[in-house]
Amino acid sequence: MEVTEVTSFLAQTTPFDQLDADQRQALARQMSVYYFRAGEEVNTASQRLMIVRTGVFSLYSDQQQLLTKLQTGDFYGYQQLLTELHDKDTLLCEEDGLVYWLPAEGFDHFRYQFKNIDLFFQRLFSRRLHQYKAQSTDRFTLKISDVAKARKVSIPPDATVQEAASMMSKQRVSSLLVEHDNKLVGIITDRDLRSRVVAEALPANTLVTEVMTERPETIDLHAYLFEAVQLMSQHNIHHLPVLRDEHIFGMITATDVIRAQQDHPVYLIGEIHRQHTEEGILQCASQIEHLSRSLSSQQVPAHEASHVLTTVTDALTQSWIKLAIAELGPPPCVFSWLGFGSQARMEQGLNADQDNALLLEKEPEGAVGQYFEQLAKIVCDGLNQCGIVYCPGNIMASNPELRLSLKGWSKQFGRWIQTPTPDALLKSSIFFDLRPIYGSKSLFNALKQDILARTVDRAVFLYHLSHNALKGSPPLGFFKTFTLERDGKQKKGLDLKKRGLILITDIARIYSLSKGIPAINTRQRLIQLAQHKVMDPKDSQNLLDAFDVLAQLRWDKHQHDISQGHEASNLLDPAVLSGLQRHQLKDVFEVINQAQSHLKYRFCREL
Amino acid sequence: MFGWFKNPPMPMNDIVRQYEAISPPSPKTKLRDVNFLALDLELTGLDAKQDHIVSAGWVPIRQQEIILGESAHYLVKSPIGVGQSAVFHGVHDHQLLQGMELCELLQLLLESYPGYILVAHHAVMDLAFLTMACQRCFGRSPKFNAIDTMRVEWQRLQRKGTVLTQNALRLPNCLERHHLPEAPQHHALADAFACAQLLISQIRQYSNAEMTLAELQALSR
Repeated sequence: MEVTEVTSFLAQTTPFDQLDADQRQALARQMSVYYFRAGEEVNTASQRLMIVRTGVFSLYSDQQQLLTKLQTGDFYGYQQLLTELHDKDTLLCEEDGLVYWLPAEGFDHFRYQFKNIDLFFQRLFSRRLHQYKAQSTDRFTLKISDVAKARKVSIPPDATVQEAASMMSKQRVSSLLVEHDNKLVGIITDRDLRSRVVAEALPANTLVTEVMTERPETIDLHAYLFEAVQLMSQHNIHHLPVLRDEHIFGMITATDVIRAQQDHPVYLIGEIHRQHTEEGILQCASQIEHLSRSLSSQQVPAHEASHVLTTVTDALTQSWIKLAIAELGPPPCVFSWLGFGSQARMEQGLNADQDNALLLEKEPEGAVGQYFEQLAKIVCDGLNQCGIVYCPGNIMASNPELRLSLKGWSKQFGRWIQTPTPDALLKSSIFFDLRPIYGSKSLFNALKQDILARTVDRAVFLYHLSHNALKGSPPLGFFKTFTLERDGKQKKGLDLKKRGLILITDIARIYSLSKGIPAINTRQRLIQLAQHKVMDPKDSQNLLDAFDVLAQLRWDKHQHDISQGHEASNLLDPAVLSGLQRHQLKDVFEVINQAQSHLKYRFCREL
Repeated sequence: MFGWFKNPPMPMNDIVRQYEAISPPSPKTKLRDVNFLALDLELTGLDAKQDHIVSAGWVPIRQQEIILGESAHYLVKSPIGVGQSAVFHGVHDHQLLQGMELCELLQLLLESYPGYILVAHHAVMDLAFLTMACQRCFGRSPKFNAIDTMRVEWQRLQRKGTVLTQNALRLPNCLERHHLPEAPQHHALADAFACAQLLISQIRQYSNAEMTLAELQALSR
């Protein structure tokens, strides 16, 4: 017999709301109910899941930082149950409350039986990891102490301005702290020397105390960086003495503040667009690695990081095109620079190569052909110099076969769709994801419409496309073991791209082409496929999750490779994964397996 | 009228004896180590001599945790119609036909939970019916130990100097006062569970230090 109070609560609590009444009752029967009084500490070492029924509980990190507050319907303890690692957190009851305890056996039983429950807690777990790491690196919580160096460059008030000027140039600073008896009495800046000494024609032996700014604004070492920004803009100053416990610690300048913000991708992209020279663009490109490192250290999710990196590639491409136009003169006709593959999908990784082409208003003959041949060469060479290397398959605008008019491209796509040779199918995975990077959008849209109109419900084409996509399979063996493969250097591992990401990308593309869904980005495609009821929302969500997991693993792997001085590789050695990650990865491959069999059923039946 | 207790089987006496063989915890036992059984009976009326038990619900508390896996709810077979009281209990005659013999129910209770301290809201009533039922089924009844959450609540409010309004001690009002989830009323298991939650809340409200059974019993007077 069930206690309806408990089962009806579970019915309203994610993820248990997905269970049916009998399963919920079985779950409830595994649980016990406990009452906490405000001020009591919860024993965090118990191997049980805690479900908050009433009351408020505060979770503190081992540094006594408040991480989160748990309330009705929140969970605790899953992190230990999933990883078997003991947390050093403190969980304190803040308002009297009831909790439900679910022992480890019950938790595991339901987790293994219901994938969505498992997925829910794993996602909760990764979000929590995020929460921990976000603490120290969040841009908005940067403190003065993260930026200011303990470097005190000071001068006594009875020194002369000449001594001050010489000290500034010797120490390579733009301002000095004026110190008397270990106390800050003022500051003097290079601007003061200019406007108050030189402009006023004061002698070189004028005393610092006569021209310095007395009792300047100061900031505490433990204040937030944005408070410094506020003070600076409020008083129109560029220098702020930093105090620690009322004692002089150092100085923070407007430049320090800007430098601290430089990691922001917007900064680099803006910078790229300001470049008018080859050297300038190359200089910006050299910062990509730093940018990706900082994205990674700030725990930006992989798909957002890829988006940022693609935007940077776009900006570099655009800058090279502008540079080429400046060199070659105005183009003889309207054109559109196309990006294919991962650039088109906004899914570039760190080891992306070029996939691009030109769409022209006129036929590429005579002067028109010559002009764009030169333009393509400048841009492709430039990108290669920037680290976005030449395409080994020669899918680049510098290849004359890929500089076509609208008619030319339309014919080309028509051929691929009509007669899907193995070569055409191989290419379709690159060419059917396309996006305009520079130039005429309407020219591009004309092509895009033309392609979509040709692929919708084109059974033979979709059959071949699916057949081709199904040639690759997730690396799971018969007994749910990973099957490893070797790369050229005889390293064994799971190919996250070939045996994972690409398979999902292919599935999303085929469904999208079959119904004329215009999205290009894989995540967008999956979302729109569910919205347009082309794909079951649950399947779409599962694939989306799988895609995110793989993309994240690959991104982390690349970061790791690069930090170790290696080339970014897609081969992952499963031995480096935690038990939880391995388990998750097997789930991911299962999801792909499932989706592939759906794809087969949908498009590969006898025609 | 009392056909359902005709011919009580003789070995039934052993059931009471076995129940009594396991003595309740000593008064000095810390509450953490006391096993409780929160119990609620739904009745056809208020008189233990004339009315009878319609259904019973219980849930044990061990180590101050309510063990949901052992929560139980039984309908009792009755020789007479439930009549008017069905309005309250939502238990109708046709359901009672599928119920359990009262003696079987008592046997289950006594065999499963010897040495447990019973807990009920307004326990006098439940104990009177339980004692009477045992006498009819087994010839005699054990002396039940019980904590009355209503008495505990009354003393608690008295100590705080709260002026008691009408209904202040009814179970729903107590639950509300303790910020506990409300229970659907007049369902034996739901009420037993609510009573169990009320008890563990009351125990915590008194002190954070460990309380003994004797201290709790004093509050239940």
